Amino acid sequence: MSLGAELHVASRYLIGNRRWTPVVTVSLISVFGLGLGVFALVVTLALLDGFQSGIRSQIVANAAHAEVRPATGRRVVDPEDLASLLQGELGNVEIVQVVRGTCLISSDTDAVPASVVGRSDTEGVIADRLISRRLGVGSGDRLEVISARQRLTPMGPLPVRIRTVIERISSPEPGSESGTVILPIAEAQRLLWGEPVIEALELRDVAEPWSLGQRVRGILGSHGLAFQVAGLEELHRPLLTALALEKVMIFVAVGLMLVVAALNLLCNVAMVAAEKRKDLAVMAGLGFTPRSLRRLFLVLGLAIGLVGSITGAVLGSALSIVLDRTGALELPRGVFMVTAVPFSVDPVTLGIVVAVALGLAALATWLPARMVARREPSEGLRYE
Amino acid sequence: MSENRLMVEATGLTKGFGSASTRLEVIRDLDFVVATGEMVAVVGPSGVGKSTLLHLIGLLDRPEKGRIVLDGVETDGLDGAVRAGLRNRSIGFVFQHHHLLDELDALDNVALPLRISGRGSRDARNRAAELLDSVGLAERTTHFPDQLSGGEQQRVSVARALAMGPKLLLADEPTGNLDRDNAERLFQLVTELHLKVGLTSIIVTHNEEMARRCDRIFRLAQRSGLSENVREI
Ligand SMILES: Nc1ncnc2c1ncn2[C@@H]1O[C@H](COP(=O)(O)OP(=O)(O)O)[C@@H](O)[C@H]1O
Ligand SMILES: [Mg+2]
Repeated sequence: MSLGAELHVASRYLIGNRRWTPVVTVSLISVFGLGLGVFALVVTLALLDGFQSGIRSQIVANAAHAEVRPATGRRVVDPEDLASLLQGELGNVEIVQVVRGTCLISSDTDAVPASVVGRSDTEGVIADRLISRRLGVGSGDRLEVISARQRLTPMGPLPVRIRTVIERISSPEPGSESGTVILPIAEAQRLLWGEPVIEALELRDVAEPWSLGQRVRGILGSHGLAFQVAGLEELHRPLLTALALEKVMIFVAVGLMLVVAALNLLCNVAMVAAEKRKDLAVMAGLGFTPRSLRRLFLVLGLAIGLVGSITGAVLGSALSIVLDRTGALELPRGVFMVTAVPFSVDPVTLGIVVAVALGLAALATWLPARMVARREPSEGLRYE
Repeated sequence: MSENRLMVEATGLTKGFGSASTRLEVIRDLDFVVATGEMVAVVGPSGVGKSTLLHLIGLLDRPEKGRIVLDGVETDGLDGAVRAGLRNRSIGFVFQHHHLLDELDALDNVALPLRISGRGSRDARNRAAELLDSVGLAERTTHFPDQLSGGEQQRVSVARALAMGPKLLLADEPTGNLDRDNAERLFQLVTELHLKVGLTSIIVTHNEEMARRCDRIFRLAQRSGLSENVREI
């Protein structure tokens, strides 16, 4: 069965006209509605993707891409051996030995609890902006770090403490609330353990950050080593889940515009069906099957859907790309990591938006089309 | 074609409209036959059910009771697609208000049933051009319905009805909207084609003079629901 006759009639209804017909008007309105919906959805999601990929790249830039911890207990036995094994297998990755804990951080006037991280790649003391703000300290200021561990002194048990000077202030880890102080590993070990213990290895692979966890797991598994390995996804699961959820919610909320556009299309197609009642009866008389009549309408609906969603997608992507390149929407300095509103057009998202728009258009056309095909042809031929 | 073959055989046809309280029975228990090759006129006052009858014969509507056999094919219980196929291949319609598609030019209107049957575009258009030529409209192929006179529109409509080489031509007041001269020309065209192509034709008309030129006249009478069947050869 060929679509020849249906396509022919549908194309004449839409574009083969010498005159401006109601069908053309109504179809243009539907195209506009769908196009607008797709446009809005594409721009909104590009905006969201822009901000989200900013957050993601910040995670990738600052945080570890994988973390290896012992399967039981807190100490990594023979961390040097483990590090050189991984270094050998993975090649070009950074491996840092780490201890973590919580201490009291005190300036001359105030004290707050905060995370303390000892890292083998750090010489100086780095406090993040949260600490800096809460204690009112900056680089060059003195800081005291007081452990919960005690040692016996002639004056009785006293907490272990070190006095030090802040070398620089860093931006806080995403998701951190209490603030973090990074110390050279030896000092952190003295504060937290009193002996040279390593609790974890942090790995970074700038080339392939998202797959690093998986690769490390594979290597350790093949050597029969039992370690707990977390990749980027696991390390930042709450944040990444929140981002994904945000995207879905925005998609659904703004996608309602598409539903409204589809309802508009439904009304318009029903109007076309009423307007063309006589034609439909005549076509049935000439041999159109009920199925062909349905298909004629589906062709009309999908043509409207295609033109609308492609136009909307192209214009939406174009606007997003232009706004991103030119940085036309500036942001107040210091509040965000970027100076202008970022947009990022994701082809997969774009495909999903267009597919959803087409699906809704087909659905919206299907209902009136079914109505049309159910009628006996004679009903459209009454002309008294 | 043999004398005793029947093109249309209707028994106990009944058709009404509306629901129980507002029901209007238009055709009640009607029996008739039309032999192959016959040209039958259907006459009767307005609203008596002539169009309804023609729609039933042409498979554009279904009777509530009774059955219709077309050229030996029992049409009762055929599904929509099969009925559509029969309409496409075996039946040609001409309506009072030509019912051409406004968006298609004369050629594409005539080619439409050919396209529906699955013929290629070029093939369909070539055949349509021949048909338009045969109704004297070879020069008007690219004109749209609103650029044609009433008589011309009706001739395009006749060409379209004959596009698939049907066995049965059904015309519902084909000359109803035409002036005397045009009506006469159209009727002659139909009569000629009827003979030339070997059609069976059923023509609804208000024109007694034309009706008398047909092989037989069916008279539908108001209210009685019966049909008089007068033969005037
Ligand atoms: N679809 C319909 N719904 C309700 N009444 C109808 C319908 N079709 C026809 N009728 C009625 O049936 C009667 C016969 O109509 P019709 O067959 O068109 O008459 P004719 O063609 O002889 O003028 C008329 O009274 C008309 O109003
Ligand atoms: Mg009538």
